[in-house]
Amino acid sequence: MLSWSNGKIMHEITSEIVPHVDLKGIRCIEDYSEICQDYSPYLCDESKLAHQGAQYLFFPTNEGELSAIFKEMPKRDVTVTISGARTGLVGGAVPYGGAIVSLERFDKILGLRYDTHSKEWLVKAECGVTIRDLNNWAMKKTFPGLSESGSAETKAFLEKYKESQTTYFYPPDPTEMGAALGGTVSTNASGARTYRYGATRNWVRWIRIMLASGEVLEIPRGKYFATPAGEFIIIDSAGNETIVAMPKYTMPLTKNAAGIFSAPNMDLIDLFIGSEGIFGAITEIEVALQKWQNPISIVQFFPSDDKALDFVITLRKEKSIRPEFIEFYSSHSLDLLRKKQKEDPKVVGMPPIPDYAKSAVFFDLQFNPESKDHDYSKLEEIVYRCGSTLAMSWAGYEQRDLERFKNFRHVLPETVNTIIAERKKKIPELYKLGTDLAVPDHALEEIWGFYKSILEEAGLEWVAFGHIGNNHIHINIIPRSLEEMKEGLSIYREFARKAVGLGGTISAEHGVGKIKKEFFSIMFSDKVLKEMKEVKNALDPGLMLNPGNMLDM
Amino acid sequence: MDVTINPETGTLIREGVDSILNPFCEYAVEMGLDLKRRYSDIETVAISMGPSQARTALMRCLEMGVDRAILLADMKFAGSDTWATAFTLAETIRTMEGDFDLILVGKQAIDGDTAQVGPELSEILGIPQIMYAVGVELIGNKKKVRVKREIETGNEIVEVKLPGLISLSKGPMIRSVSSFKEILDARKKELRVVTAPELNINENELGLKGSFTQVVKIFPPQVKKTGMVIDSSEPQGAAKKLIGFLKERKFV
Repeated sequence: MLSWSNGKIMHEITSEIVPHVDLKGIRCIEDYSEICQDYSPYLCDESKLAHQGAQYLFFPTNEGELSAIFKEMPKRDVTVTISGARTGLVGGAVPYGGAIVSLERFDKILGLRYDTHSKEWLVKAECGVTIRDLNNWAMKKTFPGLSESGSAETKAFLEKYKESQTTYFYPPDPTEMGAALGGTVSTNASGARTYRYGATRNWVRWIRIMLASGEVLEIPRGKYFATPAGEFIIIDSAGNETIVAMPKYTMPLTKNAAGIFSAPNMDLIDLFIGSEGIFGAITEIEVALQKWQNPISIVQFFPSDDKALDFVITLRKEKSIRPEFIEFYSSHSLDLLRKKQKEDPKVVGMPPIPDYAKSAVFFDLQFNPESKDHDYSKLEEIVYRCGSTLAMSWAGYEQRDLERFKNFRHVLPETVNTIIAERKKKIPELYKLGTDLAVPDHALEEIWGFYKSILEEAGLEWVAFGHIGNNHIHINIIPRSLEEMKEGLSIYREFARKAVGLGGTISAEHGVGKIKKEFFSIMFSDKVLKEMKEVKNALDPGLMLNPGNMLDM
Repeated sequence: MDVTINPETGTLIREGVDSILNPFCEYAVEMGLDLKRRYSDIETVAISMGPSQARTALMRCLEMGVDRAILLADMKFAGSDTWATAFTLAETIRTMEGDFDLILVGKQAIDGDTAQVGPELSEILGIPQIMYAVGVELIGNKKKVRVKREIETGNEIVEVKLPGLISLSKGPMIRSVSSFKEILDARKKELRVVTAPELNINENELGLKGSFTQVVKIFPPQVKKTGMVIDSSEPQGAAKKLIGFLKERKFV
């Protein structure tokens, strides 16, 4: 996308200083026992990884305050862990000592505009705004504060936006809608809808990022590109130059959340998106919105796991059918949900899963309930060829149905978590072994066959579900004992090696954080790892930011 | 999302609110379809009167498995109270579905919470009515129904000869879900739109003119604010205020 508006492509970028603020005015908890007692949520995230303590907990409200913290902490020899909404699954926000800096107060919507060049609506927001709020505001066409505090130009755009008959939404959907926008950009979050819309990266048009120096870079997409040698030049406000050389490796041709972005002539914005906060803290973001079209959710049942895979492979080739997502429930997953339905039907929220169903594929299509001319004959044909019929499905398009179908997908990993939590009471060391591997399209059947044969042979309890459209099936091993846990771990490593061997990734969406680093060595050579560390050394020579994330320095 | 009231005009703000089939009517449809599953020769017809939202509700009935539907849609029906609604429905049933056996209705609306249309309909048609049913069985070679109904002290079993009218107050705990085939097929089923001239009713008995009651004003109840909000922007001051309040009332 070499399309900066004035046509000038640049390799150099200059960071700017932000207004000075006295550290004393910033809200801070300095007493560790108080942090543990009253602020314990800031010590963990959804990974439940054990923290290693924290000296400070800061709540800055603007870039000036954040900059003051970044400038002061190295003087006290203190590292910084950035904290967003802490919905991550790999411990990215879990502190390993030092200061926790919560960006939850960066919660304002800053602007709305229509870009005539790209023909899209763009929303600018601070990093602490949640994906849920962003979507609600975009769809209901009310952005809090914008009509009062926005510029005259913004107000004019807001009027135009409200008048438009079209509804817009922000497509990245990492399931956890309470995630902070900044967190999702820092981790390049993806989810079910990545199948149709790509990961967060595809929707970010502009960022402001505060470097460890306390100075800020403003990076629009399409302006700053690496030199042919793969370098960027960053000049600070005093005129000092830092040359940053990009790591050179071929990224997997799959959905991917592992490692630092790398591509020939890459855009500088892509270095920071998905870098897990190790190069800086993203403070402001501009994202693009997409037209919303009424969907219908369908859970199509199949007589076996293999038939469901056949369906997915055929469906993907049929270009006239364009689902937003394609999700999988393996035979074991349906059995687990049936069990849950018996225990607590309300939690599952659906009528009993039919006995004939031995697997299911969950997807959605555009659907106009008012129209009479529906032609789904192609879909009908594919379903039939895979041993099922459209009568063997569940479908719904009302908002309350879309929500309960989504819940039917969400309740599965939650059920696994509940079982683990129950077993943990007897064996505290147990945890869920959930894979996050993805492979290219051609390798879907091969990896599935591999998963299934090894797991069946091991006799472990397991379920498979998730983003099959992106060949990104989550295998959840639910160990019953420490022996099974150990065996599960070794199987997980075997799966990771296989996925990488097939051109895939060790982490398609959860990221690396502090938990998945051990798989890094499967995916990257020592040379590439060294190159990644050199980027870190160049951008954060004091190794202040987010220690423990992604790279062991 | 809840429907809110525009305090200036006194009308319901329906924009942005999904219109759905009234849950109690959905129980009635579920019951009808349940009987149809047990007795294959039963034909089910859904009838509703109203604007475009009523068409959506009828489409939902067809998706659930109802055989065909009738929509009463005419500006002349606008402003009907429960009596005019029941009167128009009764006339439609009499002229178009005269050989019916059983009418199933929801116990009440969930927007205006009215619960009169069912009883009024049975009075106009001169058939027996059983309200607040939770279970229905056809007995006596389908000439009678045995109904389990809710009463204040428990349940009551009642039997009546058909034709009759039953209002439902309970249904399955989990709403049924249609297959994609049922959703597509529903759009091929008959949905007959009936206008005022097709009914043998004097215009004075239709809509607002035929209504005994008229909504003069709708307004949200005044919210009584209780409790005290302490501004926490000055944490120490706020804590002092809170402690003072608790001490005053001898809680601490």
